[in-house]
Amino acid sequence: MAGQSPEKMEGSMFSPRFRSAAEMAGWDEETLLLVVEDTPDRQIKHKRRTDLQFKTPPLSNSRRKRRVQRRSPASIPATVLDLDVVDECPQKGSEKKKKEKEKSPSSCKKKEDSAAILCMDKLREELSCAICLDICFEPSTTPCGHSFCKKCLRSAADKCGKRCPKCRQLISNGRSCTVNTVLWNTIQLLFPKEVEARKLSGSVDSQEPKGKSLATRNRNQSVCPSNDDLGTELESSARRRSNQNLRNRGIRPSGILTRRVNEDARNRVQRRELLAVQDEDAALAVRLQREEYMEAFRPSDERQPPPPPQQRNSSTHLARANLRAIASRAMNMRVRGRQN
Amino acid sequence: MKSSSTGGVGRSWQSTATVSCSGKRIQKEMRELNLEAPPHSSAGPKGDNLYHWVATLIAPQGTPYQGGIFFLDIAFPVDYPFRPPQVLFKTRIFHCNVDSAGNVALDILKDGWSPALTISKLLLALTSLLSNPDPYKPLVPGIAHLYLEDKAKHNELAAEWTRRFAR
Repeated sequence: MAGQSPEKMEGSMFSPRFRSAAEMAGWDEETLLLVVEDTPDRQIKHKRRTDLQFKTPPLSNSRRKRRVQRRSPASIPATVLDLDVVDECPQKGSEKKKKEKEKSPSSCKKKEDSAAILCMDKLREELSCAICLDICFEPSTTPCGHSFCKKCLRSAADKCGKRCPKCRQLISNGRSCTVNTVLWNTIQLLFPKEVEARKLSGSVDSQEPKGKSLATRNRNQSVCPSNDDLGTELESSARRRSNQNLRNRGIRPSGILTRRVNEDARNRVQRRELLAVQDEDAALAVRLQREEYMEAFRPSDERQPPPPPQQRNSSTHLARANLRAIASRAMNMRVRGRQN
Repeated sequence: MKSSSTGGVGRSWQSTATVSCSGKRIQKEMRELNLEAPPHSSAGPKGDNLYHWVATLIAPQGTPYQGGIFFLDIAFPVDYPFRPPQVLFKTRIFHCNVDSAGNVALDILKDGWSPALTISKLLLALTSLLSNPDPYKPLVPGIAHLYLEDKAKHNELAAEWTRRFAR
């Protein structure tokens, strides 16, 4: 009973039930305090940790301590990654930090995929323009710190007066709004699909839920590996996307494109040589993809049932046949090349 | 929307490009409202015209209007997010900010409009207008006067009207 007095001072931190459970497990209060002390975020992490430890069989004291020490560095894994994001986007820094933290480990485990999608949705919400409710296209930031599409902000200033649509603060000169480049680059990296679609249509474009899922799938490839190099990223993203799109559609031109992508990852020099052939494929794939977009982006109420096969886009048919031919030719060339 | 052709597959690409800015925004709002509607209200297109909506408000508890369901007409202008939608009460209501024709006196529907506002936020504002009438900017001065002078009588009448028209 005398030994419990220091614990009672900490009474607010441990519920009575937890304390009794801890006694049953043979924990002394020093270890408990140690566990609590080394966690920055008390409520959440403390709870999670105790949950974990309740499930495991009781451990010896020394092992427990070692475990605590082993874990503590693992609980702050993503801080290094945070830095560049924070100074990229100061007004949304804190929120982004959190999301980034969730995001970086999530690429490893498929179990956390749903969390990644959720976080992607949050990002989408955060980075969308309040006027067109779409992903910000060429975002422009007001002096009061709110970001909108440059176009949207300009027409809002023209038609509704020079006040911020969000907080009604005066915008000094709505005429000379400039693009927030860092934010714009971030958006291009995070949502290449949407940006591409809007660039193609030349105006603000609506997104189907389908675009969403594609974008989240894209994220693993385009964002995580190289945040550092924007230039090559953008340059290669079109090609990669087209390849990926083919795979998504289930057209498998004897698997050659897939294999080629894998080789890309392995050998960068060899890719340079293949580039010419690849570009042809990519161009075709882009055409196919565009045609698919045409169908997908048609408003649902007027989307008719698929027309009869012979009427149904002979050009797509032709393109597919072409693609297969090119793919098999390339395959033959490679086989021959290997034999020599 | 209306202008888009239902022709060949190849043509639909161009037709989607002609969908105006406002149409897209309204479609987006519709999708979001379907995902999660604000409490005590709902909204959606009346027929196949995207620019003409119907909305319902369920009056909040603790107001003289409780138990009533109020129908609204919402008409979107062509340059929608930059001009406010027009809102009309189709159900009669004893309220100093709503006249007998159903017009609503609400600042965000006039000068206070901002393109960052959405229908969902507008419905929230209307719900709060039901619980807190503004007698200092009345549309029906008689009701506003009654509200200020004899609130019990006002509430009684409002409840009476709700029973007669809104159920």
